[in-house]
Amino acid sequence: MRIGEALLKIDRRVIYLILGIAVIAPLIKPIGIPVNVMPETQKLFNAIDQIPPNDKPLLISVDFDPAAMPELYPMLLAILRHAFAKNIRVIVLAIWAPGTGLGEMALQTVAPEYNKTYGKDYVFLGYKPGMTAVMLGMGESIRGVFPTDYYGTPLDSLEMMQSIRNYRDIAMCVSLSAGTPGYLEWISYAGARYGLKIGTGVTAVSAADAYPYVQTGQLCGLLAGLKGASEYETLIERHGYSKAFKPACQGMDSQSLAHLVIMIFIVLGNIGYFLTRRQR
Amino acid sequence: MNVSHDPLVWFAALLTLSIFSFLYKDNPFYRFAEHLFVGTSMGYWIALTWHNAVKPNLWIPLVKEHNLLYIIPLILGLFYFLRFVPRLNWLVRLPIAFSLGWASGVAIPAVFQASIIKQIQGTMLTPTMFNRWDTGLWSVVILIGVICTILFFFFSVERRGVMKPIAQIGITFLMIGFGASFGYTVMARISLLIGRMQFLLRDWLGIVQ
Repeated sequence: MRIGEALLKIDRRVIYLILGIAVIAPLIKPIGIPVNVMPETQKLFNAIDQIPPNDKPLLISVDFDPAAMPELYPMLLAILRHAFAKNIRVIVLAIWAPGTGLGEMALQTVAPEYNKTYGKDYVFLGYKPGMTAVMLGMGESIRGVFPTDYYGTPLDSLEMMQSIRNYRDIAMCVSLSAGTPGYLEWISYAGARYGLKIGTGVTAVSAADAYPYVQTGQLCGLLAGLKGASEYETLIERHGYSKAFKPACQGMDSQSLAHLVIMIFIVLGNIGYFLTRRQR
Repeated sequence: MNVSHDPLVWFAALLTLSIFSFLYKDNPFYRFAEHLFVGTSMGYWIALTWHNAVKPNLWIPLVKEHNLLYIIPLILGLFYFLRFVPRLNWLVRLPIAFSLGWASGVAIPAVFQASIIKQIQGTMLTPTMFNRWDTGLWSVVILIGVICTILFFFFSVERRGVMKPIAQIGITFLMIGFGASFGYTVMARISLLIGRMQFLLRDWLGIVQ
């Protein structure tokens, strides 16, 4: 019985400490657990890969804030690398206010790697509040919602935007979504109403809710959390699109080990419960 | 080991450690970091909203381009502040009614189409689903799961006879769904911890690549 009670009274700080070690150790000394690509990730990769070069652009919506950065920022970098390597033009915007800085930072990181020119190969529209009005308005006229880009330059004076009026001129949209507004709003307003092809990368918390939309075809692909980001990093490296550092892949060893630790504690907790059940 | 010389990285690292110190117990470092975060976020949000929404969509058209139609949204917007004036606070209902009416009109058909009609379509069995045995099998599982789960929430009939096993199957599907959500939630939280550890070990201390 003593063992059972001890198992039920493990100090939470001990659990935090062991979990911390499980996360830190593989970062310092990587284990190299292989990354298997899930079908949903492959679908999103294929959808972006099939966009013809220098044709209709890829729209990326940065619908997250720094709190979701560890999961979604590696996805943003990987998707940008994929698009630029394939000479796919990119439009980035933010439906979340804090996403503005993250979107700009990602473009400033990735664009120089592929010698891409602002206004010709990519455009940053910035943030606009009122997600419903933004998504519906862009279906009619992107200029109506964003008369200028993030830097105040009129869209008409940007070479890439000359031929782009609304969703009909966009190949697909990828919403990197940490909640509401996010992929569901893009499906409802841009997908259902204007027929825009939608893909998404979501935080793991909301991944389970997103799967039904992949099954119905409303999402053309899905990246689920850090695992999804690591799968996408693996895919772009495997196809020779990027040799850049892979932050999500680096974190996956820690993720696996931490999950193992949590599973062990769940099992220990249950053993403790059953050992002390008779006493109660 | 290649410790950062950037004071901003040091500041971010110390704030991260201050937040982590809550894992031991509540302390002034944690509270300082928490209050700083709330204040900074709000300031950032206000500045961003001014530059991206109020200035281009109201200030410039009204003040610089003299488009007087924009007085209407200005007045409606200002009505929100009448919440602080007891005699006139009923006027706040006008912009709320406008926003609610517009948003509901726009959202209801879109959400109905995307989250109900399409999802029902996705549950229905079609011959193409049985082109491959595995997709056919999963389609049948989804159909059974949806029907049993909906019937679990059908409270007008007592759970006896045929309804009892159906409800049990329904709750089994619910439990599997909750388990998947919990598993993903654990993964998400650990990912956030990994992100911070990567920052501390890579950007701050330079221990890892």
